[in-house]
Amino acid sequence: MKTRLAVSVLLVGVMAVSMTGCKGLFGKKKAPDAGVTDVGMTGTGTGLDANTSGTRIGEGGTIVNAQLSAVQFAFDSALVDEAERAKAEAAANYLKGNAGTFVTLEGHCDEQGSAEYNMSLGERRAQAVRTYLMNLGIDTTRIQTKSFGKEKPKDPGHDEKAWSVNRRVEFVVMK
Amino acid sequence: MKTFLFHSLLALALISTASAQEVRVIKNTGTKASLDVSTFGAAGANGYVFRQTLTSDLEHCGWFAMVRPASFNVTGSCHDNDGTLTVDCQVLNVLKNSVVLSKTYTDTSPNARRLAHKVADDIIMAIKGFHGICSGRIAMVGTATGNKELYICDADGGNLHQLTRDNSISMAPRWAPDGSKIVYTSFLKGFADIYMIEMPSGKRSVIARSPGINMAGAISPGGGEMLMVLSKDGNPEIYSRSFSNGQLIRLTRTPRAGEASPTWSPDGSQIAYVSDMAGAGSPQLYIMDRSGTSRRLTSRGKENVDPDWGANNLIAFSSRRSGLYSIYIINPATMEERQVSPSDANYEDPSWASDGRHLVCTKREGNGTRIYLLDTMGDAPVCLTPYGGSWSAPSWCAK
Repeated sequence: MKTRLAVSVLLVGVMAVSMTGCKGLFGKKKAPDAGVTDVGMTGTGTGLDANTSGTRIGEGGTIVNAQLSAVQFAFDSALVDEAERAKAEAAANYLKGNAGTFVTLEGHCDEQGSAEYNMSLGERRAQAVRTYLMNLGIDTTRIQTKSFGKEKPKDPGHDEKAWSVNRRVEFVVMK
Repeated sequence: MKTFLFHSLLALALISTASAQEVRVIKNTGTKASLDVSTFGAAGANGYVFRQTLTSDLEHCGWFAMVRPASFNVTGSCHDNDGTLTVDCQVLNVLKNSVVLSKTYTDTSPNARRLAHKVADDIIMAIKGFHGICSGRIAMVGTATGNKELYICDADGGNLHQLTRDNSISMAPRWAPDGSKIVYTSFLKGFADIYMIEMPSGKRSVIARSPGINMAGAISPGGGEMLMVLSKDGNPEIYSRSFSNGQLIRLTRTPRAGEASPTWSPDGSQIAYVSDMAGAGSPQLYIMDRSGTSRRLTSRGKENVDPDWGANNLIAFSSRRSGLYSIYIINPATMEERQVSPSDANYEDPSWASDGRHLVCTKREGNGTRIYLLDTMGDAPVCLTPYGGSWSAPSWCAK
């Protein structure tokens, strides 16, 4: 765990270049000069911030029942609806009022369609809430995103009612 | 952006040309050769397993009609002597009265099913002159234990073997093209990280565990690089990583879109992948070459996902149209596409078999999915996982 944390910190320092812990696959040592090279631009703009702020924060922490409701999403959407924003605001208020806590934003999708695309979609849902919390003044070092795609439905049903419950971002607060 | 727009327009132009023609991507190669295996002898428990497997393989490979009298007779026998299987196999071309295969096999393992697959492929080679798929293997995800674990089975679904015991969520297994490794995504440490399993030793190492998701590793045809989806620099983007020097190259830069499911072209010069850059809620397929130039590949269907670029240079994918997921194949050079799964159910997540004719994919049945072998030339789909639990994410390996 310690090694991993140290490596992670190093990663953040060098703009997260190498993957960690891949012994023997890419040579004995990770190349320290291995820069992130960009080829193949599609689209413009800088968009989201780098998701390098808090590498796997909270490992070994304990989960706090903060009584926060999940933010729900429309089908195939990663936008935080206006009606759902109060939930993100409640989470921001909780974090402001409870120093020393941090939050994992768990993005989930309904069971329809590609498992792999849903992993990406769940991550973007979590990142949309992350952006919202940032704009409300929460330090990014207290937030991490995580996607479960369609792998962990809250409602085990197979109809639109279950699907709408399952399209969500949950707040998992730890300290 | 300009380049991209240009290519989109180019792609649109190509689509309209293609749709005007309605050309079949794969031509039917004609009637099946008639084959008679009914006199093949068997002794001992393993002998019977061998014969049954051989007959089933020849029946399902798509190239033969099992009738009598036939143009080709398969004769011989399989004997099980104290753990050693001995097979004699002759194939006679009845019309020419010539022996096209005469071979003896011994197997001390013994694995009657594997041996039958090998003999079936030898028969296909002797009669048709090309490699069959009977000796192929499939990696997939199954829930028989209650958790999503990786499994391997033969091309016919037999020899089912549980590969991981992680008690976690395993996803997206993909073989290295030479069959020496399987790359997959697992929540073993709580987050979606990429792991690699060396085959057959089962030795495992972690490949990617950066913040956010690490997903969908795909080893290049030459084995020197791996594609993956990472979200460490923002939303999910596609990267390639060199195995020799560790260099990580970011391939996509779509700040308002997510990418998924990269797959290599057979020569490693291009990749196909999923992106919803054209509109939220409408993931589509794109192709990118080594210069970084990308173009949109699919236009019809609200969702076009899970591409697999076959050795035949056709890309298989699942497409949602009128509320139903079906398997389509598209020729990226001509943009011609056609549906290859029946419309009786949702078929998703295809992986090409090595003969360029068959695919494995999932079919929704009840509340779960099973793996099916699909034939692009019209034979009925065959269920490969009639087992309990839900089966998904098939990946074909020729070796």
